[in-house]
Amino acid sequence: MVLLRGFLVLVVFFLLGEALRVLAGLPVSGGVLGMVMATFTLMLRGQVSDELAEASRGLISVLVLLITPGVVGVFFIVDQFYGHWTTVIVALIAGTLLSVLTTLWLMKKVSESSAGENSHE
Amino acid sequence: MNNAFAELLSVWTAGPMLSIALTLAAFLAANWLFARFRRPLWMPPVLIAALLLAAVVALSGIGFEEYEQGARWLTVLLGPATVALGVPLYQQMHHIRALWKPILVTLPLAATLAAVYALGIAWLMGASPLVLSSLAPKSVTAPIAMGIAEQLGGSVSLTLGGLLITGVLASVFVDWCARWLNIKDDRIIGFALGLNGHAIGTARAFEISPTAGAFSSLGMGLTGVFTALFLPFTFPF
Repeated sequence: MVLLRGFLVLVVFFLLGEALRVLAGLPVSGGVLGMVMATFTLMLRGQVSDELAEASRGLISVLVLLITPGVVGVFFIVDQFYGHWTTVIVALIAGTLLSVLTTLWLMKKVSESSAGENSHE
Repeated sequence: MNNAFAELLSVWTAGPMLSIALTLAAFLAANWLFARFRRPLWMPPVLIAALLLAAVVALSGIGFEEYEQGARWLTVLLGPATVALGVPLYQQMHHIRALWKPILVTLPLAATLAAVYALGIAWLMGASPLVLSSLAPKSVTAPIAMGIAEQLGGSVSLTLGGLLITGVLASVFVDWCARWLNIKDDRIIGFALGLNGHAIGTARAFEISPTAGAFSSLGMGLTGVFTALFLPFTFPF
């Protein structure tokens, strides 16, 4: 019962997210809007109930399970993009390496400099 | 004998239970294999599970369409699961407050570059507009990426392929680069995982620590929202 109550909260926020997406015409998925709304609600309340924490932990632990069926489809389109894969793979390998490096480097630099500022205050 | 098998298969695939059983079995087997092979970063559970499932679905004659229809009973849960990411986000809010400045500076630039680097390279290699618009949302979480790809006129299947490759690569590269740059802060590592590697990176981040997981959820969510709002207006192809 406890898990169901938490699950209901998550589903309701998902539906609210979908409502916001459709009514405001946003190109963002209902899940993400629901996530943002849930986070803000929790911040306003200042606490999270045990049932919601429990339900969300359960769902997050099976996140990989939920993505898997979509990933299976990839193996059935390999032929369809025959001839494009070299480009796709080179672009993804080099592009991802560069963007990971950029992200880590930027985060490191900016957090070091803001930590430095704080210690001077 | 063959007829009986075909009949059984058609009964089994009439409802979603066979797809659900196969997916659950593949997920559990993948986790077991993953632990068994000492958690190789380049072969995350999602890839093992998908390979097992693809083999079973192709060899048994179930067919991908049938499988996917049944598996929808699981994939609809992605919506509430995305919402669920808001909870660790809230629980880690004190960490996020402490790092708001680097997050605010890094996010727009890094999320843009995540798309621009790969697109630039693909464009230089002479990729078609279809391929380019399919790769554009490569670092964005699946439900948002599918929406963006459709909006840009890309192929949703190719987008999902790009997402898979990107997610796996990001998990490996974040590990390498963090060691190389001597970064030990779980918050920075988590943020980079979510920003570049969406849900696959986030699954990896939750293996590192709850803090890395929360920052990864944050990176994934912010990148998703930012890219969804920004890319359709600036995509030149």
